[in-house]
Amino acid sequence: MNFMSNSPLSEAVMKQAETILGDDNVLFAVVGDLKMDGSYGTSALVFGRDRVAAFDESYENGYTVVEYESIERAKVKRLYGNALFRVKYPDGKWQSLIRFSYAAADLADAAAIYMEACRDEGYSDDLVEIVHSTYVKMRSFCPKCGRKLPSPDAPCINCTGKSKMFSKLAKYVLPEKWNLLFCILLSAVTTGLSLIPTYITSIMVDDVIPNHNMTKLIKIIVFLVTLYLVQYVLTGVRQYRLRCASDGIITGLKKDIFAKAQYLPMRFYDKSSTGSVINRVNSDTQTVKEFVMKISQEAIVQFFTMIGIIVIMFSIDWQLALLALCPIPIVVMISRRFRKLVAPKYRRLWRRHSAISTMLSDSIPGIRVIKAFSNEKSVIHKFDRYCDEWRKEDQKTGLYAAIFPTLITFFVTCGSILIWAVGGKWAINGEYGVSAGILVSFISYAATFYNPVNFFANLSDSYENAIASAEKILDIIDAEPEHDFGDYKDAEPLQGKIEFKNVNFSFDRSKKVLSNINLTIEPGDIVGIVGTTGSGKSTLINLIMRYYDDYEGEIFVDGKNIKDIDMSYFRSQIGFVQQEPLMFRDSVFNNIAYGCGEVHVEQVLHAAQIANAHTFISKMPDAYDTILGERGVGLSGGEKQRVSIARAVLKNPGILIFDEATAAVDSETEYLIQGAIEKLIRGRTTIMIAHRLSTLRKANKIVVVDKGEIIECGPPEELMRRKGKYYKLVQIQSMSEQLLKEKQSENLE
Amino acid sequence: MILRYIDGPEVRFRQKDKIFVDMEFYHSDEVFHDMELRRMFPVSGKNKYIAVLDGEGNEQAMIRDVANLDAQSREAVESCLEEYYMMPKILRFIDMTDKFGIWMWTAETERGIVKFEIRNHITAVKPLFDHRVLIKDANDNRYEIPDYTKLDKKSLKMILPNL
Repeated sequence: MNFMSNSPLSEAVMKQAETILGDDNVLFAVVGDLKMDGSYGTSALVFGRDRVAAFDESYENGYTVVEYESIERAKVKRLYGNALFRVKYPDGKWQSLIRFSYAAADLADAAAIYMEACRDEGYSDDLVEIVHSTYVKMRSFCPKCGRKLPSPDAPCINCTGKSKMFSKLAKYVLPEKWNLLFCILLSAVTTGLSLIPTYITSIMVDDVIPNHNMTKLIKIIVFLVTLYLVQYVLTGVRQYRLRCASDGIITGLKKDIFAKAQYLPMRFYDKSSTGSVINRVNSDTQTVKEFVMKISQEAIVQFFTMIGIIVIMFSIDWQLALLALCPIPIVVMISRRFRKLVAPKYRRLWRRHSAISTMLSDSIPGIRVIKAFSNEKSVIHKFDRYCDEWRKEDQKTGLYAAIFPTLITFFVTCGSILIWAVGGKWAINGEYGVSAGILVSFISYAATFYNPVNFFANLSDSYENAIASAEKILDIIDAEPEHDFGDYKDAEPLQGKIEFKNVNFSFDRSKKVLSNINLTIEPGDIVGIVGTTGSGKSTLINLIMRYYDDYEGEIFVDGKNIKDIDMSYFRSQIGFVQQEPLMFRDSVFNNIAYGCGEVHVEQVLHAAQIANAHTFISKMPDAYDTILGERGVGLSGGEKQRVSIARAVLKNPGILIFDEATAAVDSETEYLIQGAIEKLIRGRTTIMIAHRLSTLRKANKIVVVDKGEIIECGPPEELMRRKGKYYKLVQIQSMSEQLLKEKQSENLE
Repeated sequence: MILRYIDGPEVRFRQKDKIFVDMEFYHSDEVFHDMELRRMFPVSGKNKYIAVLDGEGNEQAMIRDVANLDAQSREAVESCLEEYYMMPKILRFIDMTDKFGIWMWTAETERGIVKFEIRNHITAVKPLFDHRVLIKDANDNRYEIPDYTKLDKKSLKMILPNL
């Protein structure tokens, strides 16, 4: 295997490392970006087969060497915004070898495992493989610009130019190409027709009026009426077809964003507010659509209008035509400056807009909490502030958006005045063959000519606005979806054997949530996972559910790596009952049958019966047709829980997971739910997370998780005998239950 | 568990190995070795409410205000916190390139010049009410602008669009 390093290692350090470790023994390096005193600089750990060389300027000679044999532990100590690679010696003393920011933390973790494994088992190539896999995961940077990629070998968004961005958006325009082409054709015709009256003006001024030619005047009037009639009919048809095309574009965009949003990993939602996602579907698609329409229609029409008028003007009088072109360089200059100034303003505006959306999506669904805490005034105040900030920002942007086009229009008008002045003088003196008719029609053409000039000058405003929105849209469309490499599907349900092998996981680099998880669950096992809040119990479940895929190590189900199993098949084999089950605004029947496609009515009724839900549902006036409010309004917590158990029953999964399913209900409801659970789990692999240990009485295996590690695992009786953490938890709960009972009996007396 | 608050004179801290301190209570002769310190308000109140944790991460005491400790203890606690919490203060921005929401910043901090990348400027740049700005880069490292209004004109131009 080649030498691996997260950052380039200087030649001097490399040479020194080769001298210390031996030429063939330099295997990999962890290059830090901090010195031991916390200032930015370079440090490095270069690993060999039996020792590591640590380089930092705080060491005498610039380095120190640690033999693997001599250490008791190797560990990455995560601090706030930085980390230390530390080793512990048998005398209990710790030594910090190097310091680095979180950028190198993952590789350092793998290096620590490597170091301890080499000490215990001696060097082997397999051990370097552990580091190699982490290194590959880290190596997800663009070879061209060096920026981080969403995943190894993913295309670099930075290196795909703006043209690439537009080509991505073109996907939504192409289905409407015939409509758009037809509209362009109609535009060309109507624009051509609109230029004719200007030409007729010169005939009127130079011929019809001086010669008192009434017959010609009537002919011209009839011609003009017909011309305008045709022009406006065609414009009406064009507008209708354009509307159809733009609806097609925006629908395509919205559908794709929503569909992509369904497959985005949980990490995306951990970092993005729902408000900003909704904003992208609703508002940004609209902005992009408007710009696309502008470019695909108006820009083309205006461009050809501009070219057409230039040709006509030069054919009438080239000197006057040159005069008309004078303001163009100034207009282009102003327009470019405007673009630079206005782009950041739109970004700020987007932030303000997004803040309002986020506030709305937070507070409206949470209206009960707001009312319960009488917090209406504070929420209104906050919303007012956001609105005021938006207004302030919009007005600032509006100021630029008003000043620049006005400036442009002013310079354009100056061009017209120039034609008036110079052309007027030539017409009066009869110079260069400029007649009154030519001057009048020329002025008219010049005014029409400045329309497209104005259009292109002001295009930058909507361009920047559209770019800001397109960035946000592509942020979703280009985001890495949940990995679904596997194509394994089996007609038979999963047997339910689950194995965790050396699994490590962290949400971000600042804290490891799970470390070194090794666990085997046999088919049909009922496993209780216990531990204090924040110990990593739910994260363990999240990994089984494949909500997060970027863990180290492997998870197997029925002997197959879960990453190799088709995602939707895999999830369809798992019944997941959460502490706060989510109900949709739909009938009770559809809420039970959620995600099951076509199911027979009796299957739903049967599922509800098993879940102890049928009795309360049948007592409701509309029974199974009862429409639940948003998030299940109309049902109590226990009722929602039983509906969600009925969902799991209907799914008939091979594996069942209960995450604190009875934590939020009273004892009587718990009894009902517990009864439902016991009927459901027969013969299935079941994992139950529970704070109330009494709910785990059916479990044949208990896993105790503490600070992200499994500290105890085995049958409950055995753990009780061991008198470890589980024993303590049981004791504490028994005592508190006893106290509660005593208290209750006192109150009764 | 009831928090054991430390107001100042009853305790002495001594720094050990960068991020560890020994804590000694005068009147009870209790000594706690190799304790770690954590700010309860690392963003809004750096030297108030500092938790003192043992090796297991259990909280043993809470310092109400570092300013009330004796000079030697204060120095030890501050130095320890300084070592643990690394949130470089950005003095100026040298360069910024932005494409499609991915930003590469080069900034001068009090710890030297640093280059970092931001993936999502909406979530990574957090303006606070008192002109402070917190930045979290793609690797979850943190940076702080103590007062963005005091940045030079060029830096201000780079950061303002993100606030």
